[in-house]
Amino acid sequence: MTSAPAARALIAEDESLLATALAASLQRLWPTLEIVGIAANGIEAVEQALAAPPDIVFLDIKMPGKSGLDAARELAEEWPEQRTFPLLVFVTAYDDYALQAFDHAAIDYVLKPANDERLQKTVARLQARLAHNSHPGHAGDELERMLQQLRGLAPALMPLQQERLRMIRAAVGNQIKLIAIDDVIYFEATDKYINVVTADSQSLIRTSLKDLLPQLDPEQFWQIHRGTIVQISQVQSAQRDEAGKWSLRLRTRPETLAVSRLFAHLFRQM
Amino acid sequence: MTTNATTTSNTISRLHLIAPELLRSLLPTMIINLLCALVVTYLMRIGAGFAENLIFSICIGTTAMVLIDCGRILLWGKDEPNKPGFLLMLVIFAPLSFFIGNLIANFALGRPASIFTPNQAHNAIGIIVLILLACVGATLFYWNREKMAALQARNVIIEKQAVQAQLQMLQAQIEPHMLFNTLATLQTLISSEPLRAQHMLDQLIHYLRATLSTSRSAQTTLGQEFELTKAYLGLMSLRMGLRLSYNLHLPEELQCTPIAPMLLQPLVENAIRHGLEPKVEGGDCTVRVSVHQDMLVLSVFDSGMGLNTSTSYNKPASTHLGLENIRARLDALYGPLAELTLTHHIPEGTVAQITIPMPALDPQQTR
Repeated sequence: MTSAPAARALIAEDESLLATALAASLQRLWPTLEIVGIAANGIEAVEQALAAPPDIVFLDIKMPGKSGLDAARELAEEWPEQRTFPLLVFVTAYDDYALQAFDHAAIDYVLKPANDERLQKTVARLQARLAHNSHPGHAGDELERMLQQLRGLAPALMPLQQERLRMIRAAVGNQIKLIAIDDVIYFEATDKYINVVTADSQSLIRTSLKDLLPQLDPEQFWQIHRGTIVQISQVQSAQRDEAGKWSLRLRTRPETLAVSRLFAHLFRQM
Repeated sequence: MTTNATTTSNTISRLHLIAPELLRSLLPTMIINLLCALVVTYLMRIGAGFAENLIFSICIGTTAMVLIDCGRILLWGKDEPNKPGFLLMLVIFAPLSFFIGNLIANFALGRPASIFTPNQAHNAIGIIVLILLACVGATLFYWNREKMAALQARNVIIEKQAVQAQLQMLQAQIEPHMLFNTLATLQTLISSEPLRAQHMLDQLIHYLRATLSTSRSAQTTLGQEFELTKAYLGLMSLRMGLRLSYNLHLPEELQCTPIAPMLLQPLVENAIRHGLEPKVEGGDCTVRVSVHQDMLVLSVFDSGMGLNTSTSYNKPASTHLGLENIRARLDALYGPLAELTLTHHIPEGTVAQITIPMPALDPQQTR
């Protein structure tokens, strides 16, 4: 505790009483830690973390707007290359299923209500890791570590496979258009809808990629970005630009699709 | 003396059971009569042709039916007869119905009254055996039918028990997330605001007692259900703060109206869990009870996330276990007119509504 480094932390927790309580415990155990903000939902958490990058983010798993895990994925995808990625600690009241996956992927988490003893261990671990990351040459380690953890987590948290979707029913005006699943080139998530793109058409369906994904054949459709799922046989080539970002060229459509960091490993070996 | 008297009065009290029983047996008896006429004419090759044999068969068969049904009802009522007694009855009634049936048939054909017809004389034994066989056959049929009915009744009971068991399972399923988050909040409040913590603990105790107790009575009152709902919403609003506002409307005169437990509460919890908790800005939850055209209407409005348009909530689906259990119990307790519907709330959110015919709520009537 004597040489505790100064650090900046963001707390994302929708219940303000619990957010204040966590802040108070942290102040007690790590006096030099500065709480730079409290975000009341997942969307705010991502915004605040990107606007004023903290060293540590405490993420409640169940939050309105965006779950803690989704917020972590978005941060990992959007984080500016030149900055050190923050240490992420997940906070949850109860989630047996997710916790098993967390243990498996060696992800840091704290249980609510948090006792000081458990929190102290987390604090010690965070301090050690901050010290390690501050050495020159280790700046990029944290992002790569998080990406690997999140990739390791993905299969465990994937909802049970559901019946395969064969046809997509999209409302166009006052009629229903039927799109065979094999004709879909890619799905692109917009705010509340998914844009279903075929060789010659685009239609909106009202669902989320999260609900859609378990209904697709994972051999045929690959998620390549938080908001994009592509039919892999429709991809002509994958290329990498100078900044290291991957993008996909399609066989029958002119646009290219961006591959996010979280999924870039899928193309590295190709 | 007294036993005799009660037996007699029992027998007399069973008289009114006879007519419906006879009606029930009529169709099978006629089919058997037709079969007997066919057997006598074409297999035993006796009598003066099919038409005349059919008349005799109908007279004899119907007489047998009347005798057996009356005997059975008067001696055993609706209970299952004991088998030796019943067989003895058949042995006596078979020849008796042969003679009486012949009398009636001869009379109907305008012939001299006789318990025989000339061409039956040397075949009397064979025919009586045939009648006996027909009676035994009919009896087996009857017994099977009773067994099937009993089996069906048992199935209904088992089904009802299954729904009840599922309910208890759902009751015991307090969402751990909710529980631990509440405990975490309590832990925080205990040191900073002990009075609020005390109040919150009271509400938690009330909620847990009502939700966990599997020995909950089959009936509670709307007033009590509202107390539970109030405790739950109180807990949630402490946690969600300004994100949750709620209103409860229960007219004074409906306070004591009986209602089955765990019909209203799951709808309120759904409104919070699926509607308001996931919504960034939160919203309002309103619970209202009213009577409309002799129907009790329980409504839960929320201004939350709204229904997922791609799933149907008003058709049976295994994915909405809680809703299905409510539907099953509504049907079992209050009949097919009681229903649960989920609709979109304008401009946003969801309305869950239970309607129950007022007369069905009467505990005396409750099946």
